Amino acid sequence: MEKMEGSFAVEDMQNVQINIGAIVKEVEEWDQPMGPFPYPSIATLRDWDFKIMQRYKIMYSPICDRCTLCTYGPCDLTGDKRGACGIDQAAQQGRIVLIACLMGATAHCAHGRHLYHWCLEKFGDLPINMGDEILVDAPITRTIAGIKPKTLKDFGPVLSYFEEQVSQLLACTHTGQEGNYMDFESKALHASMLDHLGMEVSDIIQMIAYDMPRGDENAPIVECGMGTLDKSKAILITYGHNLAASSEAMFYTEDNNLWDKVDIGGVCCTAHDNTRIGEGLGYPKEISEKYKDIGTKAKVAGAIGWWRKMVRGDVMDCVMVDEQCVWTDALAECSKLKVPIIATSEKIMLGLPDRTNDPVEEIVDDLVSFRMPGVAVLDPAKAGEVGVRTAIAVKPRRSEIREADPFLSEEDFKKYAESCTYCHSCQFVCPPHIKIGDVVRAAAEGNYEPLSTTYEVCVGCRRCEQACPQDIPILSLYAFANRDYIRNQKFKMRAGRGPVKDTEIRRVGAPIVLGTIPGIIALVGCGNYPNGTKEAYDMAKEFVDRGFIVAASGCMAMDMSLYTDEEGKTIWEQYPGAVDGRNICNMGSCVANAHISGATIKIATIFAGRNERANFDDMADYTLSKIGACGVAWGAYSQKAASIATGCNRMGIPVVVQPHSVMYRRSYVGRTDKKEDWEIIDARDGSKVYCEPAPEHMLYIAETKEEAMLMMAKLCFRPSDNSQGRMIKLTHYCDISMKYFGCMPPDWHVYVRHASDLPLKWKEDMMKELEAKHGWEIDWKRKAIVSGPIRKMDVSFDPTNIERKIRVKK
Amino acid sequence: MAVDTTKNAVPFEMAQIPGPEMAKAYNTAVIGAILKKAKRPLLVVGAELFEDPVMFDKAIEIGKTGVPIAATAHTIKGFIERGYTENVHMIGLHPLTSYLRFKDWQGLDGKGQYDVVIFTGIFYKFASAMFSTLKNFNRDIKRVSIDRYYHVNADMTFGNLAFNPDQYHEAVDEVIAKLKA
Ligand code: SF4
Ligand code: SF4
Ligand code: SF4
Repeated sequence: MEKMEGSFAVEDMQNVQINIGAIVKEVEEWDQPMGPFPYPSIATLRDWDFKIMQRYKIMYSPICDRCTLCTYGPCDLTGDKRGACGIDQAAQQGRIVLIACLMGATAHCAHGRHLYHWCLEKFGDLPINMGDEILVDAPITRTIAGIKPKTLKDFGPVLSYFEEQVSQLLACTHTGQEGNYMDFESKALHASMLDHLGMEVSDIIQMIAYDMPRGDENAPIVECGMGTLDKSKAILITYGHNLAASSEAMFYTEDNNLWDKVDIGGVCCTAHDNTRIGEGLGYPKEISEKYKDIGTKAKVAGAIGWWRKMVRGDVMDCVMVDEQCVWTDALAECSKLKVPIIATSEKIMLGLPDRTNDPVEEIVDDLVSFRMPGVAVLDPAKAGEVGVRTAIAVKPRRSEIREADPFLSEEDFKKYAESCTYCHSCQFVCPPHIKIGDVVRAAAEGNYEPLSTTYEVCVGCRRCEQACPQDIPILSLYAFANRDYIRNQKFKMRAGRGPVKDTEIRRVGAPIVLGTIPGIIALVGCGNYPNGTKEAYDMAKEFVDRGFIVAASGCMAMDMSLYTDEEGKTIWEQYPGAVDGRNICNMGSCVANAHISGATIKIATIFAGRNERANFDDMADYTLSKIGACGVAWGAYSQKAASIATGCNRMGIPVVVQPHSVMYRRSYVGRTDKKEDWEIIDARDGSKVYCEPAPEHMLYIAETKEEAMLMMAKLCFRPSDNSQGRMIKLTHYCDISMKYFGCMPPDWHVYVRHASDLPLKWKEDMMKELEAKHGWEIDWKRKAIVSGPIRKMDVSFDPTNIERKIRVKK
Repeated sequence: MAVDTTKNAVPFEMAQIPGPEMAKAYNTAVIGAILKKAKRPLLVVGAELFEDPVMFDKAIEIGKTGVPIAATAHTIKGFIERGYTENVHMIGLHPLTSYLRFKDWQGLDGKGQYDVVIFTGIFYKFASAMFSTLKNFNRDIKRVSIDRYYHVNADMTFGNLAFNPDQYHEAVDEVIAKLKA
């Protein structure tokens, strides 16, 4: 481990003595006593995990019944069989889940580690200044590490802690280590909590170093969509998640006045982060003086699902890839179209020669003359310069070499479409089940409509092309039929605003805990939608209109930008961007998801006055019992999405995912037929209260958008809702059900504690039904419920799941 | 002549190869007989019914023989529109499967766990994974698919009929006829 500030080499984070030094120093500067769990180790929060798993039963859906991890295998684990090493199916699934969560967590943390080194090298150590309206900065770091970071360097020990923990956790997946599925899950929850820590560290580093917005509800509106890339200029695409090299390309362009010659468009989260640069509070000076608002000059080319469509749509002259979510055939795809590619991260080198130490001129010349399809340049500044200069120089050469029209010719299009034998091999492999044979057949008959309507449903996986015995380039047929759409895909997105401000928490804290703001909906993640990108917009719109706080991030934020209302306004132009009801906020890239889980901690600290310091289970318990938040990853594809969701779960935030998410193999589902699972402690006196199942599930898989929306509303119920809040939540739950299901949800009565919980518009009918169908006793004169509910409404009920929160024992 | 539902027994999503235990494709007479013999059967239908609405009518026909229906996703709407809600229960496929894996669950009507579940009209990958949960964690329940896909994690399934809707509908009709007989 590296040196901790001003003192001694830390050999072992578990070593109490070492922490004491840090604690004493911290206490002087941060007036909050150290909580019970600084730098928790694998087993530290196990009790909390088991509480979650007791209520939300782990459910496995094995995708593979076998294990092939060691030389004893393959072992058949179907049913109650065990492998040669003794492992059973449940533990094996838990092991795979842990590995996936580690993949996700390390992707974010390694991203943060790279930024840490790079930013210290480029900018030197910088103070963590989040502005006057964010005093509770880095809430996750405070909660987990028990430190309040003051400069970038303070993240060094935090990253080292992370790295030690993941090495311990990965070790547990070796054959003959952990063998119990619940312990595997506890470890997965630990890894995923660390993921949120890694995300927070990554995003704070880049916000501070690149002067990104710190909680700015008026973050600029930027351009989004393939059509915004100006074809009269060279187009440089920067693809991935780490802005280091991409930002250098922007700086080089600015320094050399090249914006009239090159357009820079981001794909995936690099797109978000490009468009956040220089829009913050004005420091560091290095950025604010030279590059103020430079982010608004970059464009969001699109989310992950559009990558291959962009390649076929010929919207790029040169590509820089950095890290995470870069489709690994990028080099093959690009070289076919003579698009040079520059790998800028050690994590993704694509077999390319490392030219980091060569002169820029030589590298550019090799790329522009197509002597090499791509190069690796690991110095971000050099890579940025190579990217811009290559894009500008290669543009005329590309058009010389390639035909004038980038798309298929009409003739070729027809020829391919007509060669379809209607064998349906393509449909066997298409994730969203597009009836490709029918679509292609219609095209052969001159009807392009199906190619247009399914364009946004296609996730660009290219599996159909590989399956097609006729070698029909199906994505190129799509590009041809949608060429006008590609040229006109011009929309607006609000740049990522960064964390929630303390002032916003003060405004919404009480309404959230009481339920009068019906919930926080976080729409996060990737582009593997079961039924097209439009659902991202539909879900966001439904919940903003209903007065929920809607936060978005990552690819889902980009995808929801591609639709407009009757007035031609995108969702970002329809609603303001604060953390409040009837607002929609773009938090930023994937790593900005930390600000959503961090916001729940901030509610507990700023609104409820709880100490967050090294106090993870308390924060999570508060969230689970009192904060009606629900995450939604409707296009989740990655292992990062797995760890983000699992990290939310450890924090007490339920998550709804799309049907493809069964590939994650594990979910957490409540049992409402087990009354004892829903017993909650009243912190006032330690008495136990049977509660309604709120929230009912922790990780829920929905089949359709409609089902997801019903569940999102339902998973915002919390035991702490007051009557008005419960009534509002129940109204939305029932209303969504009536709207999309045509009936009331069968369990609405479960959430009724008192007549004043009942939605006004159905009150009379509901009381009749409670009496007739559920046998509740109603006093019709007083319009009151006499008996029937799971529990009585009690305004001062203080729900908790942690014994140490009991104030006075009965 | 009966539809041959034993052909094309390959996973509808090609790469869904779970392991040594994979479903067998059966003809409609055998599947019909199994359903008829079941003591506590449950028909589970999903949102693909909206793309092939005649399947709502066929599900209702099965419902009328006394087999209760779990209407997953938002399919309850299709039943309400057709005026049939008699033994139809609104529940998500995910929580339903979760309940099915517990031997002590008392069913949607409180009368006990089911012995046969019959899936149709559900997004392939989702249905396959839910079958996998039951295959691995509650082997007391027989897993039957009467969907248009070969369902690798079921016990009994049709072969793929996804590209032949007429034959598929005929096959379902044959199962219903057997159930009514
Ligand atoms: S790790 Fe265990 S289950 Fe897996 S192959 Fe080896 S012996 Fe078999
Ligand atoms: S590229 Fe599009 S159409 Fe082809 S299989 Fe993938 S999602 Fe389906
Ligand atoms: S695989 Fe090729 S030939 Fe077969 S239906 Fe699809 S597009 Fe046509």
